[in-house]
Amino acid sequence: MGLTADERWDLVDAIAQRTVAFGISRQTTGDVLGELTVKPLTGIPTALAVLYAFWSIFGSFAGALVTDGFMIKLFDGYWLPWMQAAWPDPGSVHYFLFVGDPAAETCFEAFGMLTSGLFVSFGVVLPAIFVFYLMMTLLEDSGYLPRLAVLMDTLLHKIGLHGYAIVPAILGLGCNVPAVTATRTLETKKQRFIMMTLLALFIPCGAQLGIMLQVVPDTVGWVLLYLLIGFVVFGYVLSRVIPGSNPEILIDVPPYRWPQRANVAKKLWNKTRGFLTNAVPFVMLGILIVNILYLTGFIGWLADLAAPLFVTWFGVPKETVGPLLAAFLRKDLAVAQLATIPMTSYQMITAVVLISIYFPCVATFAMMVREGPRQLLAAIGVLAAVVLIYGGLIHAVGILLGVA
Amino acid sequence: MHKRLSELAFGESGTVRDILASRHELNCLGVRVGKHLTMITRQPIKGPVVVAVDGMEVAMGLETAGCVSVEVD
Amino acid sequence: MHDHHDRLTILMMGNPNVGKSALFNRLTGANAVVSNYPGTTVDVTKGSLRKDRHSYEIIDVPGAYSLEARDAAEEVAVRILDTHPDAVVMIILDATRVERGLYLALEVIERGAPCIVALNMMDVAQDKQIAVDTAEMQRVLGIPVVATTAISAEGVKHLADMIRKAQVADLSAIRSRLNGQEPDQGAVARCAGCGGGGCR
Repeated sequence: MGLTADERWDLVDAIAQRTVAFGISRQTTGDVLGELTVKPLTGIPTALAVLYAFWSIFGSFAGALVTDGFMIKLFDGYWLPWMQAAWPDPGSVHYFLFVGDPAAETCFEAFGMLTSGLFVSFGVVLPAIFVFYLMMTLLEDSGYLPRLAVLMDTLLHKIGLHGYAIVPAILGLGCNVPAVTATRTLETKKQRFIMMTLLALFIPCGAQLGIMLQVVPDTVGWVLLYLLIGFVVFGYVLSRVIPGSNPEILIDVPPYRWPQRANVAKKLWNKTRGFLTNAVPFVMLGILIVNILYLTGFIGWLADLAAPLFVTWFGVPKETVGPLLAAFLRKDLAVAQLATIPMTSYQMITAVVLISIYFPCVATFAMMVREGPRQLLAAIGVLAAVVLIYGGLIHAVGILLGVA
Repeated sequence: MHKRLSELAFGESGTVRDILASRHELNCLGVRVGKHLTMITRQPIKGPVVVAVDGMEVAMGLETAGCVSVEVD
Repeated sequence: MHDHHDRLTILMMGNPNVGKSALFNRLTGANAVVSNYPGTTVDVTKGSLRKDRHSYEIIDVPGAYSLEARDAAEEVAVRILDTHPDAVVMIILDATRVERGLYLALEVIERGAPCIVALNMMDVAQDKQIAVDTAEMQRVLGIPVVATTAISAEGVKHLADMIRKAQVADLSAIRSRLNGQEPDQGAVARCAGCGGGGCR
């Protein structure tokens, strides 16, 4: 009993010597590919190509093909007019809650549970996350992520993390909830705190990305650029301010494997089922709550109260306060709701960024409470400070550019 | 000839003679004294290195690699 | 020996990315997430397996290189081992990286838990021309060793059958067997022929 590590390794060697025989293995295509995708000269262009392909397939398939080409026609052309005609008593409370604006021409504007709720859930977000998760599963199952981690290591070291933080970051682009748990693979408290804070602030989830493609199709690049800059800048600041160490990367780089069709299908099915059972009810509930808050005048009152901050500091219409409330339940819903507020395109960029960064959605928040209850107060403090500073900065940039 | 693992060039290989720090963690990833390893890649700007040991690849930071003393083939 | 009519807890432990979750899904029909990067499983997934008259609760434990935890996922692994002192530990080895897996296996064995070994990823090992003698490993360790390939479900039935033969291994006995002595009178050694199944 009580072997030292060296004694244990000696025993391991003795057992392995008896039982394992290495033949002469030739290099497989997978090995060659593995090396090419991790060497900087070939690997960095590959990584850029992969990320670009990811984004353009996401945009063209989910955004253009399914949503624009089919869902919008279906929902705006048939479903909305039919609901508006078939539901009794326009002007009643139940009409407002379920169908929304009787004069609306698109499902974004109507904002009833059965119009916008169904449209956002099934017309926009479902196709988006389906395509997103399909591609992400391919990245996960092939063995590409650890190689991406190696390539990103130097950059992530500058912000108090190491390359393997790319795993929670990329998972977070699907959904922040599993990403928060995935920070457990980072070694120190400092790394986990930084990663969790950056996740909550600057990593938009797949549902949010999908709806952004619809609401701000022309300026989504700006939104992402602002989020990326925020990620790097505040990561750098946090890495300087937060005490603790940032050990170097030390990971296995597994050989490539072909994604198994059954596994890909299973993952997609689980994600889709999770969306239908967890997310859709939240979207519906969110619309219900927001509409009730409108009816009771609470949102109007809050908007007036917050007007100085919103209008003078962030440079967005005071009505943005409504979507920000909804963002606590579902960020996709909040972005959709922005479409109902008239504003300039720069205000829209600012508002979408604000929705991303101002607070994690309730599901992510619950997960953060579970992972690090003690650090949560600090995280919220950082969050509030960053929202104020960054929101103001984006406004200032807009003023300098002459667009705000 | 002895070199630090961090100084190994692309494609160069050698046998681990000594590990000066964080030995346990390196050991657990297969980098152990007496093992033969090959440098697969070094990332630019003091980035990590990737080495192959027993046919499996391991990525480690440059400082960590600097703690591994290798006898070059 | 444990009472076979009780519901036994099985902890599936092993290095990261050796296919624990894939094997877990095969054994239990559950839906644990399977990917090809170390650290996919960072939390505990539970499932159950009924085999003949036996009923098992199977726990998919996050991967760990060693019981000296390095990150929070490994801490979870150690905590689960600590909180299930009566559990059988199923150690999953990656046939292409047996040595590191054995290190963790020895740490677990030292704690005195009944163990069984699943030698997974036999397909990859074959591709890489790595041959692992499962029968010899079983004889040396004195616990059942079953070759599996979780992706194609090969060996999984056999593994399920062998769970009830899990044994407490003895380090000094392992040592003497390595030195060529045969102190053994355990049940498993007699069954070396059937247990190794599919070894090359």
